[in-house]
Order: sequence, then C-alpha cells, then structure tokens
Amino acid sequence: MRQHRQAGFTLMEIIIALSLTAMLLTMLTAGLFGVVRDWDDDASALEDSMDQAVTVLQLERALLGAFPHSYRNQETLAREVYFKGEEDSLSWVSEVSPGRQGSRTAWQLTNDSEGVMAYLAPAMSDNPDERLAEVEPRLLFPGYQVSFEYLYEDLEFARLWRDSWPGADVNILPLAVHVHLTPDDDMVSEPIDIIAAMPARQHRAIRPNLELIQ
Amino acid sequence: MKHSFPSITGRPFNSPDYRRKQHGFTLLEVLVALTITSLVLGGIFTLAAGSKRLAVSTQHSVQDSAAIRAKINLALIDNQFRDFQLPQSMEDNAYLIETGERPEDPTRRTEPMRDLLQLYNIEYPDQETSLIGTRWIRLELPE
Repeated sequence: MRQHRQAGFTLMEIIIALSLTAMLLTMLTAGLFGVVRDWDDDASALEDSMDQAVTVLQLERALLGAFPHSYRNQETLAREVYFKGEEDSLSWVSEVSPGRQGSRTAWQLTNDSEGVMAYLAPAMSDNPDERLAEVEPRLLFPGYQVSFEYLYEDLEFARLWRDSWPGADVNILPLAVHVHLTPDDDMVSEPIDIIAAMPARQHRAIRPNLELIQ
Repeated sequence: MKHSFPSITGRPFNSPDYRRKQHGFTLLEVLVALTITSLVLGGIFTLAAGSKRLAVSTQHSVQDSAAIRAKINLALIDNQFRDFQLPQSMEDNAYLIETGERPEDPTRRTEPMRDLLQLYNIEYPDQETSLIGTRWIRLELPE
C-alpha cells in the first residue's frame, strides 16, 4: 500500500496542471498570433507604399519623356500630334517604356471603379488609339481616382492651368502636366500630386495652333 | 522482490532524506526562471514593436518624399518673369516657393547670356525647414 501513495501525482493535480498549462499556452499563442498578424499587415502596407512610390516615379518619368508623336488623320489627311488630355483621362506617347522595351510607348490613364487603370501599347506611325483599345489594362493605383491639369502660357506670359488639352487641334504638348490622385477613402491614404514638365513639346514639322487655347 | 529489500535499512521512500530530495523547485528557482522567460519574451515583443515603428515611419517618409518631389518640380516650372498659378490641389499654405538670388557668374564669362541659373527655396513655415535648389531661367534680354 505504501507504494501507491508514492506513485506520483493524483488525477486532480494532473488535471489542474494540464489546464493551467493549456491556459498559459492559449494566451501565449493568441499574443504571438496577434503580433505576427500585425507584422504581416505592416510588411504588406510597407510593400504597397513602396510599390506606389515606384509607380509614381515611373509615371513622372513617362510624362517627362512625353514625345510629340504625329500620325496622319485618315479623314482629313492632316498630320496631328497625339496627346489627348481630358479632365479625367490622358493618352500620350512617351520615350519612356516600362520594362526593357526600346521603342516608344503609348500610355493611357483612365479611372475605373477599382482605381486608376493604365493601358500601354507600342507606338507605331499610326494613331495609337486602335492599339490601345486592344490591350488589357493594368491596375496602377488601386483605390484612387485621377484628375489632370495642363499648364500653358497665355498672351501675357502668365502660366495657367486648364483641364483639357486637345493635342490633335493644338499640335503641341502642354508645358507641364499635373496629375492629382484622390483616394476613395481619405482616412486611409493621402492624395498624391505628380508634376512633370515636358521639355520636348513641339513637333519639328507641324506648326502649333496655340491660339486655340488662349 | 525489490520492495522487500528496504526492510533491512528502514524505509528509504519514507525517510526524511528522500523526501527532501523529492520535492520540486524552490520559490527562488521558479522566480529566476520566470524572470528569464519574461525578459526573453519582452525582448522579442520590443523588437517586433520597434520594427513596426520603423515600417510606419518609412511609409511616412516615402509619402513625404513623393509630395516634396512634386513641389520641387513645381518650383522648376515657376519663374520670376512669369506669373505662375499653383494647381488647385496644391494651393495650401503649408509651403512657399520663393525666388532666390542668382548664383555668382563664373569669372571667365564674357558674353551676355539669356539662359541663366537661379536659386529657389521651398519654405515650410510650420516646420521651419527649407529646401534650396537651382533652376534654369530664360531672360527677356541677354545679361
């Protein structure tokens, strides 16, 4: 009988010890889980904002490298400069291409319910519109809406912004473009501004009609 | 049988010597172990919190640098000889673009020129910081 008293823990002791251990482990796991999830959130938020910064820089470079690409209008047979600036969309041809393509690229930015979409197509000698209509868009800024302003100089040499730029009529690019990205939820993210001057504005052979925008 | 053996030397299982060896950790040992564990855990959590703070501040500085970049580009288009309208969304008073002096001419410059350099500053009155850069300007008449 004496050996039975020495045999070890009673059932009660084991149950208490096990439940205490289980409680401690649960608390520790819950804490660790929270920390890991927090860590993941931070990491993905940081990654997203880095992606966004790179996209902003790339877009600025593409606007800075805007090129007065010209094509022949099939109806009027006149040569026109390709630059379609609206308040909420912009299409232009740039010397800057994403990736390692060496050619000029036609860019188009539009608003969509998901965010700002980019259409990219190689720019040949014709009107890039048809090729832009065929490509799959990419989501450039999820959760943002874009608006544009275009800088010009009036007759008194004052530099003013306007909200459209019909390149086909004016036949010259604006002095600069202002891209304003408004977040859908302004509690989460801040608006972004991109300003890009356009050094190569004028086509070497096509006369600009600047009177149209005075 | 084994259990009959101790009868010669008494009952070692029940002896005070044996019982003293059997009992678990002392309070001191438990306290030391708990302290070490909490120190290690605290270190891990502090590291996690520190890296979180770092991530947040990196995110802010990335956003800030994008905003400053837009202002620098704006200052590059601005010109003392042109009236310049700020874009609507960038009209807030948090910053000011001011025209500075022209940097000193090189000593060997002989001809009058129209294209010259000019300094500009972007001032943030709230933060008492400013940013200085140079831009090209085109004059009406050569100087």
